[in-house]
Amino acid sequence: MTTPLLLAELEVGEHFYWKVAGLSIHGQVFITSWFVIALLLLFSVLATRKIERIPSGLQNFMEYALEYIRDLAKGQIGEKEYRPWVPFVGTLFLFIFVSNWSGALVPWKLIHLPGGELAAPTNDINTTVALALLTSLAYFYAGFRKRGLGYFARYIEPTPILLPINILEDFTKPLSLSFRLFGNILADELVVAVLVLLVPLFVPLPVMVLGLFTSAIQALIFATLAAVYIGEAMEGHGEEEHG
Amino acid sequence: MSWTLLLAVEEGGGLFDINATLPLMAIQFLVLAVVLNKVFYKPLGDAIDSRDGYVNSSIVDAKEKLAKAETIAQQYEQELAESRRQAQAIIAEAQIEAEKVASQQIAAAQQEAQARKEQVQKEIDAEKASAFEVLEGQVAALTKQMLDKLLSAA
Repeated sequence: MTTPLLLAELEVGEHFYWKVAGLSIHGQVFITSWFVIALLLLFSVLATRKIERIPSGLQNFMEYALEYIRDLAKGQIGEKEYRPWVPFVGTLFLFIFVSNWSGALVPWKLIHLPGGELAAPTNDINTTVALALLTSLAYFYAGFRKRGLGYFARYIEPTPILLPINILEDFTKPLSLSFRLFGNILADELVVAVLVLLVPLFVPLPVMVLGLFTSAIQALIFATLAAVYIGEAMEGHGEEEHG
Repeated sequence: MSWTLLLAVEEGGGLFDINATLPLMAIQFLVLAVVLNKVFYKPLGDAIDSRDGYVNSSIVDAKEKLAKAETIAQQYEQELAESRRQAQAIIAEAQIEAEKVASQQIAAAQQEAQARKEQVQKEIDAEKASAFEVLEGQVAALTKQMLDKLLSAA
């Protein structure tokens, strides 16, 4: 379907479809996401195989990652409540981060698929919407568990006039979360692809480095915002007025 | 080259093609979170917490030991000062005693010397008197001899 003359080509919006029980799913997304998951599990298992009081090597590295995630969750959710949310926020961060970097660092294009191409799982809208909706569910759950039906009180705070805006926020939050991540990663990969198309050597390198940077930032932003929303939902009365 | 533009929808494809990938990905993510909790967050978190506990208890322990050591050092210093004071008191006492003894001995020695001197003086006087007596006796004899000689010569 394409001329094989070019070193690189752009494919946007094409997918490698799998049919599972009558449902069509994007195979390329799952392949790369399994790679990402396998990588995460491998690191985790290797790091926790022999836990020592004085950490070294991989354990040290993963402890650093865990402390980073804990600080992130602690900073946004608060010292008292953050612990049960570390797995969720941490997995968001690690999954998105490793996905983004795998899209930038692993030469997926060398593996040819019948349709579409392998890339970061986060450049598929399904992935980002899934993560964003999970975040929405997470903060609803957090709010209800902490405050019961009193959670609804926050829709009329500080004044009932803001009710429509507060309701609207519940829709804009997942929307902005998912599209920010999706847009950034897709745009980054497209920019690199276009540059490679124009000048295959060296010139795309700075943009690729920039892409690594924005990828990391996007993972951090997603995880931080998820933690912020969860923390916000759990906040008691009279503390809503900041941020 | 295929240049499918944004939003170009071809037989269910396209950039915003949302399908069963979404819920499956969500489930997959939740499973990943649970599994990572089991193999990563829990064990390493426990390790970090137990280490924190260990470090904190070590610090508390060390502080306790330090406080104990400081009180002991203070006690020893007090004891040292006390014994130093005692030593000085003993030295002072000994000096006073020694001075007393020395002055006593000096006084005794002076007395003895005085006594001896007097005795010797007395002896000298006695011998002088006896010597004078002898001499007086001899004087009488000598004058008698001289008188005899003069008279006989005359």
